[in-house]
Amino acid sequence: MLPLADLRRAVKNALSFASAQADVEEVEVFASTGANLTVRLNYTSHIPSNGVEEPKSTESYGLGIRASFRTPGGVRTGFGSEPTDLSLEGAARALGKARSGAVSDAEYVSLPKLDSALQATPTPTQMKNAAPANYDPAVVRIGGKGLVDAGWRMMDRALDSFQSSEDLMGLTGSAEKMTELGLILGGDVVMFQDRMAIASTHIPKVQSEQNTLIMSFATAMVESQQSKGSGWSVVSKLADFNGEAAAEAARNAIASIGGQRIPSGNYKVILGPQPVAEILEWVLMPGLSLDMFFAGASPFMGKLGQMVASEDFSLYDSGGDPSLPSYKSITDEGLPTGRTDLIRNGKLSGMLSDYYNYQRILNDPAGREKLGVAPADALQSIAPRNGFRPGNGGGRDFGAAPGAISSNLVIEGSQGRTQEELFRLVGDGVYIGRIWYTYPVNGITSGDFSGTIIGDSYLIKDGKLAAPLKPNTVRMNDNVLRLINNTLGIASQHRATVRWSSDQVTWAPEIAIESFGLEEISEYMDGV
Amino acid sequence: MPRRVSVESLDRFRGNLQSLVAEKAKSLTGLRYCDLRIEIREEKGAVAENGAEKASSEDYAFDFGVRVIAGGRINAAGYFGRVLGTTDLDRLEDVVWDGITQAHSRARASARQKSQMKGRYAHLGSSLTSTELAPVTVCQDTVLAAYTVDPRQVPLSETVKMAVDGCKTLQSQGSNIVYSASSTSTFLLRELFLSSDGADIDQSFAQTEGFAIAICAGANGNFEHYDFTGHQRGWEVMTDGYSNGPIIIPNFMDFCRKLGADAVEVAAAPPLKPPDKEVTVVTNPHFNTLLVHEVVGHPSELDRALKYETGYAGRSWFLKDMQDNQLGNQIASPLVTAYSDPTIEGYGSFKYDHEGTPARRAYILRDGVLEEFLNNRQTAAIMGVAPNGSARSTEAQLVPLIRMTNTIFGPGQQDPQDIISEVQDGYYIDGHRTPSIAESRENFRITAVKVYEIKNGQLGQLYRDGGITSDSRDYFMSIDAVGNDLRVNPIPNCGKGQPMQAKRMSNGGPTMRGVARLTGPG
Repeated sequence: MLPLADLRRAVKNALSFASAQADVEEVEVFASTGANLTVRLNYTSHIPSNGVEEPKSTESYGLGIRASFRTPGGVRTGFGSEPTDLSLEGAARALGKARSGAVSDAEYVSLPKLDSALQATPTPTQMKNAAPANYDPAVVRIGGKGLVDAGWRMMDRALDSFQSSEDLMGLTGSAEKMTELGLILGGDVVMFQDRMAIASTHIPKVQSEQNTLIMSFATAMVESQQSKGSGWSVVSKLADFNGEAAAEAARNAIASIGGQRIPSGNYKVILGPQPVAEILEWVLMPGLSLDMFFAGASPFMGKLGQMVASEDFSLYDSGGDPSLPSYKSITDEGLPTGRTDLIRNGKLSGMLSDYYNYQRILNDPAGREKLGVAPADALQSIAPRNGFRPGNGGGRDFGAAPGAISSNLVIEGSQGRTQEELFRLVGDGVYIGRIWYTYPVNGITSGDFSGTIIGDSYLIKDGKLAAPLKPNTVRMNDNVLRLINNTLGIASQHRATVRWSSDQVTWAPEIAIESFGLEEISEYMDGV
Repeated sequence: MPRRVSVESLDRFRGNLQSLVAEKAKSLTGLRYCDLRIEIREEKGAVAENGAEKASSEDYAFDFGVRVIAGGRINAAGYFGRVLGTTDLDRLEDVVWDGITQAHSRARASARQKSQMKGRYAHLGSSLTSTELAPVTVCQDTVLAAYTVDPRQVPLSETVKMAVDGCKTLQSQGSNIVYSASSTSTFLLRELFLSSDGADIDQSFAQTEGFAIAICAGANGNFEHYDFTGHQRGWEVMTDGYSNGPIIIPNFMDFCRKLGADAVEVAAAPPLKPPDKEVTVVTNPHFNTLLVHEVVGHPSELDRALKYETGYAGRSWFLKDMQDNQLGNQIASPLVTAYSDPTIEGYGSFKYDHEGTPARRAYILRDGVLEEFLNNRQTAAIMGVAPNGSARSTEAQLVPLIRMTNTIFGPGQQDPQDIISEVQDGYYIDGHRTPSIAESRENFRITAVKVYEIKNGQLGQLYRDGGITSDSRDYFMSIDAVGNDLRVNPIPNCGKGQPMQAKRMSNGGPTMRGVARLTGPG
């Protein structure tokens, strides 16, 4: 990866170059270098396999330029990028692409400025003293062997858990026959290495940041027993990565042997962190983005400041908390990150926003109708704290234009419930620990969703975990708007959850729900 | 000033890169196999919102990916991928060689660890095996792109005008359309595949695509409706449409017009209140496009079946293990045939896949019997079958995955009108919307754009927010009519892999009739 100093120098030089062009009204230069190192896991005791399947990486670096141009027909705006060239020639090519692709956008106001009442311009001292992002040079230096070792460490932890299991030994009677159980470990370790720098006409001081993040996700199965378990971890320091996610997955798979079916019906349930995160990310969050309000595609149209969830339910994005692993001090638009309350104590409080959509809604004649209050009276709620440029699988990509992306989503309850209290509140019901393919089946506006329960789940009897629930036998059919209004309780403990092909982290607690629609499916599979 | 990147840039490097892969790489310790994929895409496109231009761009994408299999007594694979730019034109061999050596280093490190793990776990380690590839015919070939209007010759301003006009056309379909957007793109892609076995394959593709979305206000809430159009052809797809056999693609204005009109019609319809029992359903070709994709195509991917996707995209109910599986079993009505065929015309057509394997038709279901999985060279070796050319990536820097190509339900004999008119009480399921599929694809819920009641063989009341759900085998066994109206549609965004790759392919089918439960709101 290129040094941060190279990016900063390139941004400074490119900004100077672009600003000097006669037709350039305003310009923003973003430089980044990044790598996604991934090792995929595939172990099967009953089918030939490689264990560590794909030690691989993708990497890129380059410049991205947003600019507005004075033309005889008025101001036109465009974006262009150039890979693998931080020189002035590279800047000239990126600017040329921005110019040739520029359009006349009546809703465009300006490139990002520190112009709202919410955002004081950081002084040079403040910027110098900004809290360091989560970054570990050891992750940047890890190299190919280190990547491979991380994958095999996961494999070792899982195989050790399987091999040392008395439950599995009890099923087979000998270590030799344990392979016949159909033991599986799948998943991956993903390491992000990111450096970025940015400056613009309106924020000319070069700002920069570097981030590292390690996410691991493991799924283990005792396939002959139709049991499945999960484990995952999110850390930003290499020393904190120990492969425990694989051992956790193996233990959970073993613990859920002997799963039972349940009949269709409405159940009291506890959603574990992974289901909470999945439903939130795929079904709820799209409707909490400001561009969706502009388009009329949010289920919360016109409800800013109104109750939309149980009083106990709060949801916010905390991009600016340095203690969280996906912390970023500045957005990829050069603006300060911070806390964006989305739903606070049940009340719709804000939306994820980038600068373009922030400006657009402020000038939208229908803005009041769309939000429910005049946008100018809701600056805190729509502040552009989330303009990021994720690339393929996450990161900060010079080739992408900014969009509203969360960093650290946090769900909280106001009552500080313990897990034991949640179980007592449910009494008899279902603990749902892992779900899959949970999509908004009737569009984002409806809140309807469907998905299936695929592991880590149990029946709850008399406020205690009872028998495991058989994976892949229950489909969930419900509505996220009903769900967030029917909470029995929210646990005080959070867990960082991993999202597929993303570096966004969701801090999810267990949530007890009053009534949740479950449908028994796939009975024929018992005979297949 | 370095030269400009264009698809012709690869001409300069083809010989040297082949030498790098087929000769120099063999000097690396323990190397068993190496392949290199390198590609350049010249692309342009535009976006419009609410009838106004929003963005446009004309750019190139240039990247490469390497796979090395290496080791000693036991082999493993290592990979490396990188984005390239104009400055790399003057140092490409060095950059690619660096990638080869990094992939080689990873392969060797993994092979060592695999060997150690086998030693550490005497029993559980026994299934860890050396990475092998099933043999394929080593080919040298050049395949040209098919188009009438070269994507490179289309003025960028024309892509903008097309997007804007399409968006306006869509919006004009109803005053209750509160938001509209559209996009257009066209590109020429050239891929080189070079291997240490001597493969030297040069394939080019023209691809043109459009997208539109309407959000329409209705008495029962806003209704979102979107769809894609496109084909492996030039810009003529947008201006004139394209029609050849089962591929019927309207021009972009007609596409947007219909999408807007459908959105207005459906937004005004009442939500479906599904009966609490199974009903007869007639599904149309557009709905079956997603059905075959999700419930036949995906479980036929051998990487899923061999558990590679247990952590993410899921397994397949078609295969428990090498001995216990559904191959040769009747798992659908004898009327149901489904195949994947990259050699026919479609959005997923090619002559060689990204391992250099010659493409061919693979019958997944023939007369309702499971016949073949889609595979790559590694999984084919594990199963002891011949590779069928299904390994593809979305970009050269990413690892090829097992993918559908042009994967469709084969046509039947019946007139689709007869299939409807034979139904006394039932529902007509028109157009796919959103899927939710069980982990091993053994059950599905897929929503539809429109659901019509069928009474006495006639279409009646239209409903919104409906769909069907069923256990997969039960549904396919219930199929009692298959139409002769095969249609093949583009699917531009099938997600799979880590990091996720969104792949283009074709899916389709004719009108079909079966039994399922309806779904409604909630």
